[in-house]
Formats: sequence, C-alpha cells, structure tokens
Amino acid sequence: MSTQSHRTRWNWSPVFFVGPFLLLFSVFVVWPLISSLILAFQQTYGPGTTIWVGFRNFSYLVSDVHFWTAVSNTAIFTLGSLFIQLPVSLGLALLLNHPKLVGRAWLRLIFFSPSLVGLPFVAILFSPIFEKRIGLLNVALHALTGGWWNPEFAWLQEYVMPALILAALWIYAGFNMIYFLAALQNVPKELTEAAEMDGCNAWGRFWHVTLPEIRPVAGFVTLLSVIASFQIFELSLLLLNNIGGESDRGLTIVMYLYQTGFITGDLGYASAVGWVLAMVLMAITLLHRKITKAFDED
Amino acid sequence: MRDPFSSIRRVLSPGAATVILLAVVSSVLVWRITPSDREGMLFWVFASTHYETYLNTLPKWNQENPDKKVQMHILNGQVLERRMVSGFFSGTPLADVFEIERGLASRAFTGPLEDVGFLDVTDRMRESGFIEQINEPSFSPWMTRGRIFGIPHDVHPVLLAYRSDLVEEAGIDVSQIETWDDFYRVMRPLQKDTNGDGRVDRWLLHAWDTDNEVTQILFYQAGGSYFDDEGEAQLNHPDHAAFLARLTTWIAGPERRATDLAVNAVMSLKQRLAGVVVATLLADWAAGGWKLNMPGLEGKVKLMPIPAWEPGGRRTSVQGGTMIGINRNSPHTEKAWEFAKNLYLSEENTEAIFRKSSIISPIKTMWSLPFYDEPDPYFSGQKMGRMYIEQAPYVPLRPSSPYANMAQQFLGNALMSLRAYADGNGIYDQEQLVPEAQRLLDKAQVRLQREIGRNMFLAKGEES
Repeated sequence: MSTQSHRTRWNWSPVFFVGPFLLLFSVFVVWPLISSLILAFQQTYGPGTTIWVGFRNFSYLVSDVHFWTAVSNTAIFTLGSLFIQLPVSLGLALLLNHPKLVGRAWLRLIFFSPSLVGLPFVAILFSPIFEKRIGLLNVALHALTGGWWNPEFAWLQEYVMPALILAALWIYAGFNMIYFLAALQNVPKELTEAAEMDGCNAWGRFWHVTLPEIRPVAGFVTLLSVIASFQIFELSLLLLNNIGGESDRGLTIVMYLYQTGFITGDLGYASAVGWVLAMVLMAITLLHRKITKAFDED
Repeated sequence: MRDPFSSIRRVLSPGAATVILLAVVSSVLVWRITPSDREGMLFWVFASTHYETYLNTLPKWNQENPDKKVQMHILNGQVLERRMVSGFFSGTPLADVFEIERGLASRAFTGPLEDVGFLDVTDRMRESGFIEQINEPSFSPWMTRGRIFGIPHDVHPVLLAYRSDLVEEAGIDVSQIETWDDFYRVMRPLQKDTNGDGRVDRWLLHAWDTDNEVTQILFYQAGGSYFDDEGEAQLNHPDHAAFLARLTTWIAGPERRATDLAVNAVMSLKQRLAGVVVATLLADWAAGGWKLNMPGLEGKVKLMPIPAWEPGGRRTSVQGGTMIGINRNSPHTEKAWEFAKNLYLSEENTEAIFRKSSIISPIKTMWSLPFYDEPDPYFSGQKMGRMYIEQAPYVPLRPSSPYANMAQQFLGNALMSLRAYADGNGIYDQEQLVPEAQRLLDKAQVRLQREIGRNMFLAKGEES
C-alpha cells in the first residue's frame, strides 16, 4: 500500500530546481524572441505605437542599400578575422608552445593580456593611434618607411575596415591563441616524433600531424570567431563616434540594427534586421556542422 | 549539545544558504529604499556651459518662486537623449523640462504628431507674442508639421575665425575679402610647408569631406536646402551639384586649400594651437568653447563674416541649436512653461548665457543690450557679440523635417564619393565634376525619398 502511494505521488523537486530557470528563460529569452518576431512585421515608433505592415520590413530590407553595406562590411570584417586573426593566433600558439623559447609564460601573458580589457577600452585606445598625420600608427609607418608612407593615411575615414580588423586583431589574437595553445599541448608527442623519424620536416609535421590533431579546436575557434565577427558592434560604434563612418564604411549589421531600433525608434525594422542576422548565423552554424561532419567521415 | 542549524544543513549546503541569505538581505534593503524626496520640477541639461550659467541664476528663481522650484541635473548629451526617448516611448519617469540639441529632433518627431513627447507650445508662443519676437530661423529645428515643440535658446550664426597673428605677420589685409575666391587669393601665402618635410602642413581652411558639420554650414550658406517649400526632398537640385563640385576643388587636387583636423578632440585642439589651419567656421557657441578649451589662442584670433560664394551673397550660416522643451506628461506643465520662459527670455539670463558661453539671444529686442558691444580680448578686442548679432538676421532657414539629419548624411556621402571620384580620375575642374556630382545626388535623392516614403506615420499625418 505504501509503495503504491509513493509511486503515484507527484515529485515536485525537479520543478523546484528547474522552475527558476524556466521562469527566467521564458521571461528574458522566449518572450522577447516571440515579441521581436511579431515586431518584425510591424512599423513602430517606440514600442507603444505600431502599425502592422506584413512582410514590408523584409521586402524593404532586400533593397536597402544601408543594410547591404552593413552586410558587406561585416562580411569583410569576418573574412579579415578568419584569414588574418586565426592564422596569427595559431602562429603565436605554435611559437609560444616551443619548449626552447625563453620566457614563454611571460610572453603568453603579454599576448593574452589585451583580451583582459573590454572592446570600449580598445576603441578609446585605438582612436588616437589611427589619427591622420599625428596618430601613432601613421607616424611610426612614416618613420619606418623613410618617409614613403603618407602620414595622411585616413584609417578612420577611408580605410575603416582594415582599421577595425587591426584593432580586433590586437584584442582577439591572444585570446584565440589560448585555445590553440591548449589544443597543441594535447597533440601526442609520439606522433610528431614518429613523423620526424619518418623524415618529415617541420612543415610536414605541422601539416600532416599537428593540424589534423587540432582540427576540432580549430573548427570551434573558427565558428566562434565567425559568430563574434558578425556581431561586432561596440568597437565600430565607439571608434567611429556613433556613426557608420565615411560613406558607411564602418557600418556593421548590429550597428545598423541599433541605429534603426534605438536612434530612429523603428523597432519593427530593427527586429527584421535582427532576425535576418539570426538566420545567417544559424545557416553558418549548420554549414559548419556539415563541413565538420564531412571531415570526420573522411 | 544539539546543533541549532542541523535541520537547515540537512536541506541546504552552506553555499546555498549564503546565497539565499544574501538574496533576502538585499531584497529587504532594496525594498526599504524610498525614492529621494524631490522638491519641485526636474530640469535636465546636457551642456556644461549652460549648466554652469544656470547654477548662478536658478537659486534666485527658486527663492522668488517657492511654488515652482526647479532641481537641475546635468547629463551627458547621449545619455539625456536615450533616457528621454526611452521615456517618451515607454512612459518611464522623466524630467519635467529638458534642454536638447537639434540633432534629437529627427528622433523625437518621426512618429505620429500625437505621440511627440514634448508639449506643443505653438499656441502659447503665439499668445505671448514670442513668435514675433524670436528670430524666425531659430524656430525651424523645433517644428514638425507646423507645430512648435520648444522655445529656441539661440540663433547660432557662424562667422569665420582666423589666426590674426599669422595673417598680420604676413601683412595680409583681410578687408579685401568679400568672396571665397578673394579669401583663397589673399590668404594664399599662408599655405605652406612649415617644417620643410616637403608636405604642406598649414592650410587655409578647416573643411573636409568627412566633416559633415562644416559641409552643412557651407551648404546652408550657399543657399542649399534639403527640402523645398512644400517639404519635398530636393537633394539633387542642380545648385547642390555645383556646390559639391566647387567644394571638392577645395579639398582635393592641386588647388587644395583645406584640411581636416584630428578626430580626437585633444589632438585637434593641439593642431589648432599649432596653426595647422588658418581659418575655421565658428558659430557663437563654438566661440565660447574656444575660449574655454584654447585659452592659448587669446589675442591671436579674429572674426570676420564668412566670405560669400558670390559677390553680394550671404556672409553667414548656422550651426547647432538648443531648445527647452516641456515633458508633455509632466504634472507641472504650466509651471514648467513659466520657468522656461524666464530662463530663456529674461534679460538677466540672456546676459549670463552670453558671458558664459558667447551665445546670443534669439529675441530680437535683446540684441540692443549693451553687453553685446563689449570688446572681447580673446578675439583681439573685437566686439564679438555685436559681430554675431549683425549676421543673425541673415541666418538661413533650416528644415524642420525629421529626415534632415539623413539628408545631411546623404549629402556628406555624396561629397566623399565625389572626392574619391576626383582623386581616382585626376579630375579637379569644377565644371567637369558637376555631372558626377549630379549623378551622386540623384542616387541620394532616390534613397532619401524611399526612406521618407517608408514612414507610414508621417504619411498618415499628412493625409489627416
């Protein structure tokens, strides 16, 4: 009898433990997601004044030059992150994983330390560095090239994306280096030694042994970098004084979302931009999974 | 002995117990906090010079008007803007009265007229006669669809400030200057490589394609207008193409005469002090800023009316603008109106504002006040106030469209593209640049019209 009653009694413990999370998740994630989806089909002037516009926000988005400029800039930044930042991070990791390197621990700390500060700090730091004529970068390049470099080089006007990629490189190269360093330390020594005995040179060992071994981590870092790059916001916002820079050359997708939603007050259009960004990121993640799976099957 | 906490320990770990205890204590503390007792109305300002001026005048107002006391807070401009717009949108508590900068208008006026967060003061302005007393161009940034939503604080005429020390040292007589062509011809000897590195490091004018503010000052001075009298966008007016082409010849090519300064504020001050530019377009409020931020230029600068684009043309322009607005949902709108009127329209405050920030009053009857005729040692003894007032009646009208900022941005983008085209093709002749300028403006016009057409609230307002 007592066994029967124990079996039918509702156990509240899981609800008690999961409840707070479910409540917070519903209020701060699920409900805003549903709201933003509804908003994406409305034109708004603040949240209180709305007009139902159907798919108009999305159709406008397709032909919105600002949006495509933002997409193109963000894509350039992402490619810069992938093809400059990650190789630099991997290179640093390989260098700082070398057992004979003196002061490895200090160097690791030095390269990692920029990521201890936030992006706003980076923006404030790099703003004077990128100045024309008197900025540190132009002055240094002018001196180093014996006067060949034009100190009027307009980093923050005409060459915004290279400037953003450089600033991001400074903060993220050391951060990604840590992932690669951890992966490199897990590469079995016997594999590299065997390759060495088989006559593999340094490049061969890296290409045929190290790289396949660190591939899962490299894939993870690549995905993280792509997602973070697509979400770039504070750096460009602060570096370019709240605007998209000359001819919108520094306008990114999230910056455009912010401008539309919080400067002009059209939360509906901003939601549409946000949902398109979410779809793009979802597609990238799925693509990444497919590629990873294909590699694993090989 | 029995452990009194044993039953609690059986259920909660020490860590969990600590977290719960902290949560309870902090909840009680937060619950106990009572809102600060605010006496009277709340007034938000963003400009430190205004804040300092009002600090001197507010105690007297509070003393004389115990039923209309005001508490003033200074907020960073962007913070004020975000909080105010959020408050208008969501109904969160806001100040009763705010001072805001004209850039905010586009944010505050894009929705339906009935949703504008400021009190509509059109009828009050009319009844009190201020509409006639205030310089007409001062109203335009604070209007939308024919209604006025604030009292203008200023006129903000623009003059040309030049380095009199350099000019006089070179024996140049500025009285020969009437037009921009005169200016560049007369000042030409001052543009030079001062450190011998083969690059020019002193330029005649501070202007650049990336500096939308300067471009807009020159645009208005040249008679440009983003919208026609009916409020229709006219960014691609042929005169605007000619303007952009001419401006491009100032900033690119062999006849380049202008330069930009550092984006970083401190660095740009240093460049000014070093004499990187000879002349700068300077609004009255900016003159006050120079005195504050660059005391080293005292006695080394002078003002003159801006050279005209054509002989007999306009010698001034306009930049910036502030208004005092009343929160439509404030429980004290009548008292706030009385306060705003006193703050902006009293003689005493007008003098205090001028002395602190060099800003001249928009009230025409105040223009004869004697303090405007005092010589200013900063501007080498010139009667700075009077010089600005002389140009005030000629300040161009600005559009009240919420899309004015967007139009300004599109014009700036067109200029940047035109300069890139000029540099890319080695074309620096004004006439040859006009077709490309027109093409760029046609493109910008289409974009501007699309953006305006997308706003269903404005379309609804027009229908009604």
